[in-house]
Amino acid sequence: MKKIFAILLAGMMTATALVGCGGGDTSTGSSKPEESSGAPANSEKVNETGSLADESYFADEGTAENPISLKVWAPDKAVSLVKKQIEEFKKAYPNTNFKEITVVAQGETDAATNMLNDPSVAADVFSLPSDQLDKLVDAGVIAPVAFKETVTAKNSEDTVKGGTLVNPKDKKDTLYAYPETNDNGYYLVYDNSVVSDDQAKTLEGVLEACEKAGKQFIMDCGDGFYACTFAFTAGVKIDGLEADGTQKFVKYDEDEAVKTLQAFAKLMKDYKGTFKSLNPTNINSGFKTGKTGAGFDGSWNTADNQKALGDKFGAAKLPTIKVGDEDKQLVSIFGYKYIGVNGSSKFPKAAQILANYLAGEECQLQRTEELGWGPSNIAVQGNKAVTESEVLQAIKEQASNACAQVNIASTFWTPMGNLGNKLVSDSWKPDDAAATKKLLDDTIANVRDEG
Amino acid sequence: MTFVEYKMLNPFQRFVYNFKKFIKAAPKAVANFFIMIGKAIVSFFVGIGKGVANYFKTFVKGDWATKFSYLIFGFGDIHKGKYYKGILFFLAEVLYILYMMFFGWTYLSKFLTLGTVETVYVNDGIFSTPIYGDNSMLILLYSVLTIVITVVVFAIYIANIKDAYKHQIMKANGEQPTPLKKDIKEFLDGKYHITLMSFPCLMIGIFNILPLFFMILIAFTNFDKTHTPPGSLFHWVGFSNFSSLFDLVNSSQKAKTFLELTEWTFIWAVAATFSNYILGMIVALMINKKGIKLKALWRTLFVIAIAVPQFVSLLLMNQMLQENGAINILLSRITGSPDTIKFVSDPNARWLARLTVIIVNCWVGIPYTILSMSGILMNIPEDLYESARIDGASPVKTFTKITLPYMLFVTTPQLITQFVGNINNFNVIFLLTGGGPTTEAYYQAGQTDILVTWLYNLSMGAEHNYGLASAIGILVFIICATLSLIVYNNTKSMKDEEAFS
Repeated sequence: MKKIFAILLAGMMTATALVGCGGGDTSTGSSKPEESSGAPANSEKVNETGSLADESYFADEGTAENPISLKVWAPDKAVSLVKKQIEEFKKAYPNTNFKEITVVAQGETDAATNMLNDPSVAADVFSLPSDQLDKLVDAGVIAPVAFKETVTAKNSEDTVKGGTLVNPKDKKDTLYAYPETNDNGYYLVYDNSVVSDDQAKTLEGVLEACEKAGKQFIMDCGDGFYACTFAFTAGVKIDGLEADGTQKFVKYDEDEAVKTLQAFAKLMKDYKGTFKSLNPTNINSGFKTGKTGAGFDGSWNTADNQKALGDKFGAAKLPTIKVGDEDKQLVSIFGYKYIGVNGSSKFPKAAQILANYLAGEECQLQRTEELGWGPSNIAVQGNKAVTESEVLQAIKEQASNACAQVNIASTFWTPMGNLGNKLVSDSWKPDDAAATKKLLDDTIANVRDEG
Repeated sequence: MTFVEYKMLNPFQRFVYNFKKFIKAAPKAVANFFIMIGKAIVSFFVGIGKGVANYFKTFVKGDWATKFSYLIFGFGDIHKGKYYKGILFFLAEVLYILYMMFFGWTYLSKFLTLGTVETVYVNDGIFSTPIYGDNSMLILLYSVLTIVITVVVFAIYIANIKDAYKHQIMKANGEQPTPLKKDIKEFLDGKYHITLMSFPCLMIGIFNILPLFFMILIAFTNFDKTHTPPGSLFHWVGFSNFSSLFDLVNSSQKAKTFLELTEWTFIWAVAATFSNYILGMIVALMINKKGIKLKALWRTLFVIAIAVPQFVSLLLMNQMLQENGAINILLSRITGSPDTIKFVSDPNARWLARLTVIIVNCWVGIPYTILSMSGILMNIPEDLYESARIDGASPVKTFTKITLPYMLFVTTPQLITQFVGNINNFNVIFLLTGGGPTTEAYYQAGQTDILVTWLYNLSMGAEHNYGLASAIGILVFIICATLSLIVYNNTKSMKDEEAFS
């Protein structure tokens, strides 16, 4: 009896140890392509605004036997809006059978990573920033855009260009994702009781005003996303990728570049105590407590900053910096957000139609009005929600002084963050041109993964 | 040196003497370790040779039914009247053949290439749908599974032959095969260990050993972000992941990073282990000292530090150490200067960051040491101390002669575990500094990154370089295993188990 009891106990222990080990079915090895549908090949049948595709595109999906179930990844702040939009979407297709469309909160920056981890359990439709598109295309997990004529016609040229990558298999240019925004960048946000609109035009002016008021100027120099401004302003701009995925840079004047970096470092040293390299969340909390005078913050924090500053909210394109006798405009990185479709989706057609809808005119307008996102759709860009917004205009101006955040190697960010960290560190000597030159060379070598 | 001479040395000279002895003994210990491995390998092959010899001998000696068992599992058993076992053997063969036909072989046949058919997208009207080709990851995974199953079936095959021959002999001696009921009873009696252990072993095999083989094999492939299934294939690349880590001749950045991170990993592991150990012991001694009031309170206070989850303490510390964190604000209030100290983010102060990590680690580690030490301290027989006092020993003497040897003896295995644990201490580094401060000198690593956090950056970070990460994982394992075996085999606790009992 004792022995049998012991067996049971041992069995139970093993069983408990194994609970939670079960994984989802991940087999994708031999799924067959969809049966050819009767959908017409060329000119796309969509409604006037281009957001609703003809119901016939669903073909064999969404019938009574084959109800559609899809998963959508949207960023935290947009989840409730996307849910509303999906309800509208379902209403637009009364004859199609939807089982469920779930919306899961998933930060855009991690969407690509999670897609790559296991595409078969990832979302069917997801939003992602432009710089992550290339790895999804390389891995072959993102499906090309179906409604490319519509998308090309309705969205601004830059955003379409940013979503067009070379297909690794047949080497043709292919549009891989639906443009969703063209505002993924940062701009100068300031407390206009501290910094006057005129002072906001130059970095020196901003810093002087902040120092006078005893407030901080915040820029996250340790994050490559912000710190690449130093390199870009210095003329070291990115220029696409080589065939093996190595980052290319444009030809730049080295003396000029070193001088610019030295100018940055000198400002940081001169205004030490005012120029702070901190996480951008400190900008918002600093506005609330009155410790921050200005900072470089992203469009995604606009609403929070407006709330913190109220009437005192000021927004402008990035300022200029004095290098020698010249006032140089700060050049930032500027990205777009896209909506992509998972290549291994079980309902590829429905997923494409939904993605097209979510990236369409109506949805973009709603997001501009409710979330303050800058649209990529040409029609929405002319809407007064955009033209009357100080922030979106600042972003638009900055966009013309920016490198597009597309075709960026994954090795780009860390070395750029390091460049910023070094320049802002206490022991860095702004006068040391040789050290600055070496730092720049090392940074570029690291981005290019040489050595 | 005689015992008397040794006793005449002062403590410092003794330390030097012991240290020299350890250094002298170390090469021998390492050599012994490798000789041991060599011997194990030799005996393994000798065993295989014997097995093969037996295999043919049995075939020659066996009757026709036993000979038939070489082809059809269980035939000999059924022929000799041991039906249930014969049928089980036969079923194993049938199942194996079916498995191979319908599943195993499709993957195993592609094992050498890891797939050749790429995924392509075909146009279906305006939609592009993928036609999936081979999935290298699934091929690798199921091939490993198939290989393991094949090995198991081979073992069953050998058992079947042995059993057939055994029953042949039994029949020749006029014995009857044992009935099923008796065999089952035997599993609750003489073979009880098999009954207990088989299920856990099976599960360990499936959920531990199998994935382990899979991971090890990935180290020999180019599984990275441009070779990610199901979109694209990955291939065998031999030892190139390993060689890129040792490519010092071309002064490659990966090799430099590996070398320097290994160095820091060791410094970190030694410092973290011993700082916790020594400081924890001192605090435990202080609490345990006679005449200290409210002992329970002090102990509870330290245990409360454990009650806060480690990652919460670490993230909190991270916030406090920031440039605008609590510590800097406090410092500037005290000194009145606006200068701040970048504890964990100044790229030119790597040792400040490293020191900070070690100190913060004390915060999360010391309470555990105090707990285990208090228990051990209370266990030291009081009469030892009493007799020492009567003999006129100073408190320092009693500590070095009684307390320390006793503690070391009991806690050496724990020390080794902690050391290995610290080599792989992901939490503290990752949550506290995230690897920072950044540097341009390393490949995808910061200045406080240890090997495991680098491994994490490589696999989960931007590069998705699973092959390289797996290679590093294997190297870390080899380092840890070798070190702990050598050290453990040379400890008192191992050599002289009875000393304090």
